[in-house]
Amino acid sequence: MPLFGQLNLQSVLARLPEMQDFETEPWELPGADILQLSFEVGQERADASLPSALHPAVPRYVTCVISHFPQTPVGPFHLAQLRLMGRAGVHPRGYVLQAYSDAPAAAQALRQRWGFPVELAAEVVLRTHYDRVFATVVKDGQTILDVALSQSETVSGADIQYISSVHLVQVTSIDTPGPRLVQVDPRYTFHRAERGRPVLQYLDEAAWHCEGFSVVHTIVGSLTSVDTDLPRIRFVMDPEVPVVQGTTRIH
Amino acid sequence: MKFGLFYELSVPRPWTRESERTVYNNALEQVKLADELGFDQVWAVEHHFLEEYSHCSAPELFLTACAMITKKIRVGHGIVVCVPEFNHPIKIAERTAVLDLLSGGRLEVGTGRSATWTELGGFRTHPDTTKKSWDEFVRCLPKMWTTETFSYEGEFWSMPPRTILPKPYQKPHPPLWVAVTSAGTELDAADRGLGSLGLTFAGFAEQEQKIKEYRRRIQLCNPVGDFVNEQVNTVNFLFCHEDDAEGCRIGRHMATTFNYLASQLVSAREAFPSKSYKSLGLLPQLRRQAVGPDSQGEGAEGLALGNPERILRAVKRWESVGVDRINFLLNCMEEIPQEQVLKSLRLFAKEVMPHFQPLATPATTPVGSAAQ
Repeated sequence: MPLFGQLNLQSVLARLPEMQDFETEPWELPGADILQLSFEVGQERADASLPSALHPAVPRYVTCVISHFPQTPVGPFHLAQLRLMGRAGVHPRGYVLQAYSDAPAAAQALRQRWGFPVELAAEVVLRTHYDRVFATVVKDGQTILDVALSQSETVSGADIQYISSVHLVQVTSIDTPGPRLVQVDPRYTFHRAERGRPVLQYLDEAAWHCEGFSVVHTIVGSLTSVDTDLPRIRFVMDPEVPVVQGTTRIH
Repeated sequence: MKFGLFYELSVPRPWTRESERTVYNNALEQVKLADELGFDQVWAVEHHFLEEYSHCSAPELFLTACAMITKKIRVGHGIVVCVPEFNHPIKIAERTAVLDLLSGGRLEVGTGRSATWTELGGFRTHPDTTKKSWDEFVRCLPKMWTTETFSYEGEFWSMPPRTILPKPYQKPHPPLWVAVTSAGTELDAADRGLGSLGLTFAGFAEQEQKIKEYRRRIQLCNPVGDFVNEQVNTVNFLFCHEDDAEGCRIGRHMATTFNYLASQLVSAREAFPSKSYKSLGLLPQLRRQAVGPDSQGEGAEGLALGNPERILRAVKRWESVGVDRINFLLNCMEEIPQEQVLKSLRLFAKEVMPHFQPLATPATTPVGSAAQ
């Protein structure tokens, strides 16, 4: 059998978003820009951060996903995520280690309605320069992420494959309290896509809950313009049971 | 219809000093028995870094060992990775020629380009280039085997005039194949006059359509070798048991375990957007079928699992859609005890194989005759 993650669930319970239930209405998110950068990381700390319901990817890798959503029910906002890639059974999934938004209403809604581990940042920037696209996240006066896409070239949107994400939440309802993994699986309609070299200038490991991860190899970066969504929650999983046995369908 | 074996050589954790050796030894014992039972061919993959799924990174050595302990069975690279970071083309030509000599002309050469980021990234290969380098390699290989002095200036490699030695035992050269996982690769095979080495477990309808298109297209091919190798090879699981329910149960467990492992692979497309990897190859299908190692659900259609009667029906059906050869995966992660694997092979050979006549003549035609 493939290896499983080795996250000590007790060590993260205190910081998990709380959810009463999994009922939420979807958001349509047209005209979004998404910068995604992939890096291979060392095995030991990555496996220690992955819930035991999931299999680690071979090789271990993370993606930085920085998005700008200009039209949403709570107004425009940016969202930056760090995902540790793995497998939920046979399906590739990105486990969200941490996320930041620059809009209080968005951070609150994403945390309450989908359970995203989002905190408010002073600044999340996604900006195109003449020679690169860069993204930064600033929190409490400190830069906690500084990344870029360089040497980009146009590719087809059909070449891009976005992986659905999962994240940990604490369910507080009386019937089924306890931690759960929530899957979020948006759809994407691509209008533009570029591919290039990912540059990791700075990552505050503590701020992203990736202490000890060491980037060992850059993979690739992409920038896309898409229409996307945040759909209703379809699947939740027991974080300590292999997903082939511990998955519940919500919708 | 011809029958063969197909090896990924999966090794379950924990990896002990003996575990990999046991897997290799078991495979060699199976190959020796298969040779005695009349199986026609044995194929071995080339994979790197694919933990548990495949520890078969030096197939030329495994196949040499197969050739040394057998008399008739043909030995096939399924496939050689035709990407310069993995294998230099001169070395491919030399190694394969030696293996053909040592095996007494029993070599088949499958070609391909790798489909996982795990492997491509490991060799620091840019995914955009693999299809093109594969194309250069397959056009060069037959000439490297057959011409006394060879030189080449290409996009991915070059060499000044040299005599590449030794030359293959088979004349003009061993049959060439292409691994077909992604949709459309069967047409690449046909256009070059190469055999279609199917590595997916697609259903009858999909395969039939692919085979029709392959056979239509190869009539107009511009062959890269000295002959057209118009043959369709496919892969399947085999577990044959007197008790149908028991055969299906054990066989499905093997198939599901394999599919689950295969679905763990980080495909090139998943990690690295590239027009060279438009599809996920065999992964979507395997993911649909692999709900988990403990699944008791129905397997895909056409799998050679169950009693001889059921397997006979499946193989007849494959024959009817145009398949020339079937290669069987016999085990996965050593989930089936070796004695049962050998027993399954014997039963298949006794009860199923006699219903099929080997092709009277090889389906290979000299260059220039394909379109006549």
